[in-house]
Amino acid sequence: MGEQFVLLISAAIFCVGTAGFVIRKNPLIMFMSVELMLNSVNFLLVTYSSFLNSLDGQIFALMIMAVAAAEVVVGLAIILTIFRTRHDMDVDHIDVLKG
Amino acid sequence: MFASSWLILFFPLLGFIGLSWYGNRLSKKLAGLIGCGTVGASFFMTLVTLSNLLFLPAEERVGQVQTLYQWMSAGSFKLNLAILVDPLSVFMFLIVTGVGFVIHVYSVGYMHDDPEYSRFFSYLNLFIFSMLLLVAAADFFFLIVGWALVGLASYLLIGFWREKTSAVLAARKAFVMNVIGDVGMVIAAFAIFESFGTLNFVDVFVAAPGMFRPNDDTVLLITLLLLVGAFAKSAQLPLHTWLPDAMEGPTPVSALIHAATMVTAGVYLVARCHVLYELVPYTMYFIAGVGILTAVFAGSMALVQYDIKRVIAYSTMSQLGYMFLAVGIGVYSLGMFHLMTHAFFKALLFLAAGSVIHSLDGEQDIRKMGGLQRVMPLTHATFLIGALALAGFPLTSGYFSKEAIILSSYHAEMGNFVFWAIAVLTAGMTAFYIFRVYFYTFVGGLRSPGAHPHESPMIMVVPLAVLAVLALLGGLLGPWVDSFLSPVFGRVVEHHHDGALETIALVAGIGGIATAGLLYMVSKDRMDLIKEAMAPIYDLLFHKYYVDEIYDFLIVSPTKAIGAFLEQKAEREGIDFVVDEVGLQVKEVSRGISLWQSGKVRTYALNMIVGMVTILLFVVFM
Repeated sequence: MGEQFVLLISAAIFCVGTAGFVIRKNPLIMFMSVELMLNSVNFLLVTYSSFLNSLDGQIFALMIMAVAAAEVVVGLAIILTIFRTRHDMDVDHIDVLKG
Repeated sequence: MFASSWLILFFPLLGFIGLSWYGNRLSKKLAGLIGCGTVGASFFMTLVTLSNLLFLPAEERVGQVQTLYQWMSAGSFKLNLAILVDPLSVFMFLIVTGVGFVIHVYSVGYMHDDPEYSRFFSYLNLFIFSMLLLVAAADFFFLIVGWALVGLASYLLIGFWREKTSAVLAARKAFVMNVIGDVGMVIAAFAIFESFGTLNFVDVFVAAPGMFRPNDDTVLLITLLLLVGAFAKSAQLPLHTWLPDAMEGPTPVSALIHAATMVTAGVYLVARCHVLYELVPYTMYFIAGVGILTAVFAGSMALVQYDIKRVIAYSTMSQLGYMFLAVGIGVYSLGMFHLMTHAFFKALLFLAAGSVIHSLDGEQDIRKMGGLQRVMPLTHATFLIGALALAGFPLTSGYFSKEAIILSSYHAEMGNFVFWAIAVLTAGMTAFYIFRVYFYTFVGGLRSPGAHPHESPMIMVVPLAVLAVLALLGGLLGPWVDSFLSPVFGRVVEHHHDGALETIALVAGIGGIATAGLLYMVSKDRMDLIKEAMAPIYDLLFHKYYVDEIYDFLIVSPTKAIGAFLEQKAEREGIDFVVDEVGLQVKEVSRGISLWQSGKVRTYALNMIVGMVTILLFVVFM
């Protein structure tokens, strides 16, 4: 497997995540899309760490996972609270901050 | 040697601070004790200073400057916190603390039932401190500080009964009038600094005669500007309208501030700056002219007033006119002597009037008094002594001081017949109006049936008695005052003797008393006839020459109209309009821009992606 292949896979996963985030209306799915984007980056970091014979990339990938986990906790809590108060999971309806 | 003189100022200041911080927690007895005690201590220190001064040979008594420390230094301008101890300032100390102490003691009785007792005494102490600072100042700067502070104390005390609208208005009027004077003083101080490079009395007065020719424009300007302050403070024409209104304050205040001490500050100022004034004979004539005009003008208004305190207030203006006449014609020590005797008998008259008002539960209209000599024998006796002294009855203190001024107004170098004639006319009026009040108040039967007059308590009567003795015998101090003050004025005042003129002045005074007595005995119907015959003059006098109305028409109404016009046109339709429009327009634009903010998460995400891709493309391909 060459570098190009890894780059393409990673870019493809990132684009899937981005598209999912913009297209879907369910906050849980949007959240999963965000994770997809993060992990595409992780994939790239880990691969290049082995190509370049350096551990930095792997350490960084672990960092991102830890931060993502923390972020998930907060994000899910917010989504849960919104659902409890509004009984509605369509992000397009959550627009009280509009100008 | 005179370092302890600082204590004279220190005690009243301490009293003021203590009473205003802790006043509410002190019992009435203690508050009164502190109020009187500090002024008493100050009087004692004045006596110590006086005795120190008397030990010095006469020529060393002037120019004793006591510097506490350098207060400010900016380039060539240095300002020391200093007091000047010389016969003139010690003379004023004696009057301020002496008469002030007596009036403080009287106030203990007079204000006894007032709920804000300690506030009253703290203001009185503030006044005493400010007045002492004014007369002790060794330079024009602290003179002006004291000058402004006495104005403040006067404002606070006139408006002491703050729930009374008329008192508050009178306080405001007094303050505004006094500030006009303060502005004149401040500009004068600028001019002095510009010419002399210093504000010290000693330096300025030493340098002045060598620097300027007589009637030099600069000195003329300085002296006239100082006079604005002097005339405003001493209620001389045309800045006199505040003094009669100031009678809204408690009576001890009228006695202390608006008769005995503060209003004489103008006379003190002219005497203090006599070196400058002697350089400009024009200003001297001007002072004498304004003084004598105020004397006759105020005296004539007093003839027809019915408010006991207002009559005495006009009388104060009139007597201040005499003092200005005296300093204007260059007989300074006679002016200061009259200042002293006037402080005695006018404080006495005010306090006796206060005693009457107190016993009639606040009644001030002499038409509702009468017959009080039986119920208030002591007040009656002291008022009579005060009235005789004011009228210049032989051998009372007023006789010596006023007679000397009237004689000098003809015989002094700058005197002339016109000054003398008006002075004698005013003397006659003085005797008439004060005895008119006397007959109305003390003789006959009580005209207000509901009242139960009674003699005042001892704490009020004793101060009256002390002042009565001074008013009676103060005239004997005349020669001493002349010789004591002569080092300051550089010469001993010349006394003239002229049997004919003295007799005429005496006859004018006694004639005034007799006329008052005769008119009082005339039946009421005839009295009304006389009033009717004199109606135009009577109305003119009763309405105080319509000066208040003229000021209202010339100054107050136009100012208010301009203010209303500017408020509508410049404020509402000008500045406010522009400010409001700017605000509204910004709001409109923001509303348009804020529509970009859709509140939809997905839109934001899309914008972000498009933006990032654009930047990426830009970086990669450009």
